[in-house]
Amino acid sequence: MKRYAILLRLARRNVVRHWRRSLLTGMAMMLGVVALVMARTIGDGAHEDWIDSGVRMSSGHVAVQHPEFRFSRKLEHRLTAPARERVFAALEASGVASHVAQVAPRLEVMGLANSPTAAVPVRIMGVAPDLEAAFSQLGVEQRLVEGRYLEPGDRLHAFVGQRLAQRLDLTLGSRLVLTAQDAAGDIAGQLVRVVGIYRTGVPEVDESIVHIPLATAQEWLAVGDDITTVAVLLTSAWDVPRVLRRLRRGMGEADVEVVVLSWRQATPELDAAIKLDDFWGYVFNVVLFIIVALAIVNTILMSVLYRTREFGVLRALGLTKRETATVVFTEGMILTAVAGMVGVVLGFSVTWLLWRNGLDYSGALEGELTFSGVVLDTVVVPVFRRVQLIMSLGSIVVVGLLASLYPAYRATRIDVAEAMKFEA
Amino acid sequence: MSTQPAVRTESVWKVFEHDGIAVEAVRGVSLEILAGEFVVMAGPSGSGKTTLLNVLGGLTRPTRGRVWIDGADLTTMSERGLARLRLERVGFVFQAYNLLPVLTALENAEFSLLLRGVSEDERRREVSQLFERIGIAGLEDRRPSKLSGGQQQRVAVARAVVGAPALVLADEPTANLDTATSVALLDMMAKLNRELGTTFVFATHDPQLMERAQRLIRLVDGAVALDERRAAPASP
Repeated sequence: MKRYAILLRLARRNVVRHWRRSLLTGMAMMLGVVALVMARTIGDGAHEDWIDSGVRMSSGHVAVQHPEFRFSRKLEHRLTAPARERVFAALEASGVASHVAQVAPRLEVMGLANSPTAAVPVRIMGVAPDLEAAFSQLGVEQRLVEGRYLEPGDRLHAFVGQRLAQRLDLTLGSRLVLTAQDAAGDIAGQLVRVVGIYRTGVPEVDESIVHIPLATAQEWLAVGDDITTVAVLLTSAWDVPRVLRRLRRGMGEADVEVVVLSWRQATPELDAAIKLDDFWGYVFNVVLFIIVALAIVNTILMSVLYRTREFGVLRALGLTKRETATVVFTEGMILTAVAGMVGVVLGFSVTWLLWRNGLDYSGALEGELTFSGVVLDTVVVPVFRRVQLIMSLGSIVVVGLLASLYPAYRATRIDVAEAMKFEA
Repeated sequence: MSTQPAVRTESVWKVFEHDGIAVEAVRGVSLEILAGEFVVMAGPSGSGKTTLLNVLGGLTRPTRGRVWIDGADLTTMSERGLARLRLERVGFVFQAYNLLPVLTALENAEFSLLLRGVSEDERRREVSQLFERIGIAGLEDRRPSKLSGGQQQRVAVARAVVGAPALVLADEPTANLDTATSVALLDMMAKLNRELGTTFVFATHDPQLMERAQRLIRLVDGAVALDERRAAPASP
């Protein structure tokens, strides 16, 4: 221990003595960490927005359905009224209420929208207008092209997308007939009138999703009080695992009629898109850190070669190979620790100072930015979390550790007798 | 001077390979250096002085033959054992001083004591006495870059003799110094040899150093051509 204190003193003073080199290496590491912190905070912010938009349009952060529904999309795999009551009871009782922002029951069916001019395949969603208005936000001002969103008391009304309206030649007040297979397996039709037209910017959404009042859908499809999905929107996507766990426990494993799904399971295409984006994020981080690691290896290795004689002297004075390597390794780790901490503080501070209210990249885009059926917000608000701090520090420690190993190894390969002849 | 050998070598050979050609730097050297001797190894460049010194100090292993320092056989020692031997029984003085630039004069001098785990009080007392004895008292807190060549070499000598090693090996210690400084340094080492009984083995061209030798070993082409003990003590 005493001997290590001496090695630590040597390493510390060497870092200070070669301050230009240390500064250069430290800067490379620090910039790497700053870039990582910025990428993570902004990236996580973008993902949260992305998930939020995606789950609002689909079935929430958590979706409760019949186990087969997500595969079959058929009414025979629906939540019966008692099952639905059990779900609502579990939502109340399992201690998840504080994480829940909205709960919306839905009856969803695939069908056709027919007008005198054409017929288009659509996804018809029977929704509770008062709950759904805040949930999917299809009727908000920036999406509303004309008319209004559904309201409680509406019966034979429909809220349709702009592309569907164009294809079916519909305007406000136009009538269209929705046809789908009802609970008995018969084809049933329902006449509705356009009460509002929306535009998300995602062609698939604007052409295919039709909202009608839940009661109308239930009556038309002869399902009584049954629904297909209880969509649950949480206050934060980070709460999903906790809510899932509690809700599953609350529902009981034996309930074969019900399955509690995360948005990743219920909306696999959104999950895949985010995983793909994460993958490229990791590739960026890895490339960034390889560059940082090479800079560290290069400068520390140069320093080892430059100080060959010094290491020879240390060995001549009685240091073992391992101790000589420890000096070099410790130098690398001192730089790593200092640069890592400064980088993290700087990264979080700069991101917070510049973009805490959001990074607006709308100027760089023409029209909406869509990905995987989701319209992305052009203002990304970074999110700051402890896990990012741990991950950023952890990453630079791993990089610093790996990058210091080779120079340390090289220091052990010095021939002591030859080192004495070495002229830097 | 004791009759106990500080160094013993038996048919030591050191052969280097350069581009497939074997170069015999040391050829069958057998020596016995007694504790407290002031020995000078002289010879022209390439005669094998430095190589033999490196072999004696455990910095390089002989190709053949055996070496004992203070009774310990170097040729059978592990790397760790050699490091321990260098720490506890051998001191080095190099031509280019080779002080550690990040340590002060005092820290350089006490380095081996630090590694040996000697207490701070004892280290400071021993180094202070040495600095007083070799005329560099007051320079303890200076870094090597703030010392003259002569002062640096004195600190290097202090580092080599501190902790009473069995043997101090000095490779051309005066080569980078002017005449007056060299004379003062040699007088100081002769004094240490006389007063502390430290065994010195030098490799040098310096005639002033050869004059002070109690024993002169002349090497030619890696072999001992002359081994002469002199009546004159190693005094100034």
